[in-house]
Amino acid sequence: MKGRKLTSCAAAFCLAISLLAGCTGGSGTEESVSVSETETGTGGQEQGQTSVVIAMGPTSEPEAGFDPAYGWGAGEHVHEPLIQSTLTVTNADLTVGYDLATGYSASEDGMTWTVTIRNDAYFTDGELLTAGDVAFTYNTVKETSSVNDFTMLDYAEAVDDTTVVFHMTRPYSIWPYTMAVVGIVPEHAYDSASYGSNPIGSGRYILKQWDRGQQVILEANPDYYGEAPKMQQVTILFMEEDAAFLAARAGEVDLAYTSATYSDQTVDGYSLAACASVDNRGFNLPAVSERKDEDGNTIGNNFTSDVLVRRAINIGVDRQEMIDNVLNGYGSPAYSVCDQLPWYNEASEVEYDPEEAAALLDEAGWHMGDDGVREKDGVKAELNLLYSTGDTVRQALAADFAGQMEELGISCTLEGVGWDTAYDRALSDPLLWGWGAHTPMELYNIYHTLEGTNSAGYSPYSNETVDAYMDQALASSDLEESYELWKLAQWDGTTGVTQDGDIPWVWLVNIDHLYWVRDGLNVAEQKIHPHGHGWSVVNNVDQWTWS
Amino acid sequence: MKRREKLYNRRQTTLFFLAAAIFVLAAVTVSGILVEERAAATDFSRTNLAPGIPYLFGTDWMGRDMFLRTLSGLSLSIRIGVLTAAVSAVTALCLGTAAAVFGSRVDAAVSWVIDLVMGIPHILLVMLISIACGRGFVGVVAGVSLSHWPSLARVVRTEVLQIKSAPYVLAAEKLGVSRLQIVRRHMIPHLFPQFLTGTILLFPHAILHEASVTFLGFGLSSEQPAIGVILSESMQYLTTGRWWLALFPGLALVFVVVLFAMLGERVRKLLDPASVHE
Repeated sequence: MKGRKLTSCAAAFCLAISLLAGCTGGSGTEESVSVSETETGTGGQEQGQTSVVIAMGPTSEPEAGFDPAYGWGAGEHVHEPLIQSTLTVTNADLTVGYDLATGYSASEDGMTWTVTIRNDAYFTDGELLTAGDVAFTYNTVKETSSVNDFTMLDYAEAVDDTTVVFHMTRPYSIWPYTMAVVGIVPEHAYDSASYGSNPIGSGRYILKQWDRGQQVILEANPDYYGEAPKMQQVTILFMEEDAAFLAARAGEVDLAYTSATYSDQTVDGYSLAACASVDNRGFNLPAVSERKDEDGNTIGNNFTSDVLVRRAINIGVDRQEMIDNVLNGYGSPAYSVCDQLPWYNEASEVEYDPEEAAALLDEAGWHMGDDGVREKDGVKAELNLLYSTGDTVRQALAADFAGQMEELGISCTLEGVGWDTAYDRALSDPLLWGWGAHTPMELYNIYHTLEGTNSAGYSPYSNETVDAYMDQALASSDLEESYELWKLAQWDGTTGVTQDGDIPWVWLVNIDHLYWVRDGLNVAEQKIHPHGHGWSVVNNVDQWTWS
Repeated sequence: MKRREKLYNRRQTTLFFLAAAIFVLAAVTVSGILVEERAAATDFSRTNLAPGIPYLFGTDWMGRDMFLRTLSGLSLSIRIGVLTAAVSAVTALCLGTAAAVFGSRVDAAVSWVIDLVMGIPHILLVMLISIACGRGFVGVVAGVSLSHWPSLARVVRTEVLQIKSAPYVLAAEKLGVSRLQIVRRHMIPHLFPQFLTGTILLFPHAILHEASVTFLGFGLSSEQPAIGVILSESMQYLTTGRWWLALFPGLALVFVVVLFAMLGERVRKLLDPASVHE
């Protein structure tokens, strides 16, 4: 009997281990594959100082390949397409510079954009890049792009070999920012089925090899029209964060992405580089009272619909404490969706002031109850904070925020939600979002009333004055001028989306993008990183150097 | 030693073990419910502490007490186990009996459903049902309970088929006793030992599958104190040397599962006529 008892225990133990081990098995082997892969691509230092090996997250691998029409370089996580050229580029200060373009101008009514392009750019198959290719690219992405909005473009037309004219459906002053993310593809060699895996472009690099799920190898384009890339070969490995950390520790990569979780570690021969970002996190605060829409969804929130409550929350949150607690100090306080960008209005900035926050809540009629939770007419001050489940940083930020709100007398619960339901749920409960893009259009997407409704898209809110400024900004024929209008949309002295205005979103932190960088590797001047911890670090890989 | 053996025979020690095991499991369940709020409390002034006093299992990156989290995680697991075992058992009993009692057509249909459900890998089915039911507590309970009944149903069905041709059942039929009466009076009492053991042995299975599906991210949400959540979170921190995040909760899960398995085994011994007098 003793034997049987032991067997049953052993069996149960094995069952437990095998079930759990079985689940991890898949990712475990994947990691070991990618780690062993790095052994073949040795670090750049040994290879004559002109190659570099970079570890990125598995989600950075472009699923549909390197086709701008299917999201390469564009979409939620914008970056320079490297393999293709773009008409314009964004400079380090996020103003607009030229790549292929030699000049652009908009008509007085903003309905046409005329762009002249250089005549010395060749695709890597030897063909000259002409305005015809540009027009073809834009007409193609308008038809097929699933990640970018091209409804403002009617059609593109090549007037001659070096002039392309964009006919718009509506004025769109920030078109140069869109031109900075669309890689130009060759009309003569474009097949949407195969282009993604065999891209031909005119950019700084050529795709030499792509092993799906493992690595991408880029080689410098010898015929590049601009300054020759200093890094001749760029190898990008896709691996999970823990594998990237181990790869750095084993000296197998030159630069590896990492996060605050690992920032208290040290790796011999590497330093931790923190790149400033506009990769912000913030809660939407539904600005209307609760009601049901025709589909039965709840819209609005009776607590956050009071502007005084939203103002109290905005100044009642200690952003620096949050950065120290959750991000190990690697972050900066966020006051808007576009901190430090050319269209950022500094009036967004607020001081942490818990006394004033408490006073605002009292003024709004939410008085402290005996249990430490504020009440108004028998209703408790409660927030159900949503975050995307599985994202530990957002969870910790939400938990820290909840702790701070509780000190103000607002009782909070946390709930992890999947993105399948998060958008609908955010219409009535605050959700922890991440934004940050290299275009002012993000302000429009967040704050502008949707056509045909009386509310903005992601969180119920509407302000006609704010809308009007943004409409004017888009209709402006001068990009520089439009920055001022975007600023006015945030705060014009009497109304806006800042603390003294409607404050329909509370912004918490900009998360620094962290990397382990091998000593001696100089990653040049990085422009402020947008949302998405991926390709934006290699925007300027051609200028990296070893010392 | 001899005197002790005489004092407590095997039946008594088994009963004693049963009581102790049930007490431990009940204690874990109840205390887990009681500390749930404290287990979720975050405190950034005490993050990443190694095991010691006062935090027996250490703390995690948000400063949550891992001992309390483990306790409430086990509690949640056991509650899910109880619920799913109950649902599975009732489903298995109804379908198994129906298959055996109501003619060949019903039998064919039920057997087909059993084969169908058994044909799909458990974990896959649990994931699919869990997602379809919107994840979370409801999703996990639905997923686990709707996928674990077939093996028990199959056992019940074969047993009932056997009893059906037993002389005393045939005699009862001839005497005009209704089918339902036969099931209630003659079959269920006979089935009971097998059925109870099978039900208890569903627990460890259900608990492990709940943990697995949550671990994979298709079950409970990450702020809930579930063992699967704890284990999947800890994976991120293993490379930085925070072994305690995975070790203690993992061991605790194995302990509970083993306890349930032993419980089932003992109950079978007590109820099975072949071993009850050992």
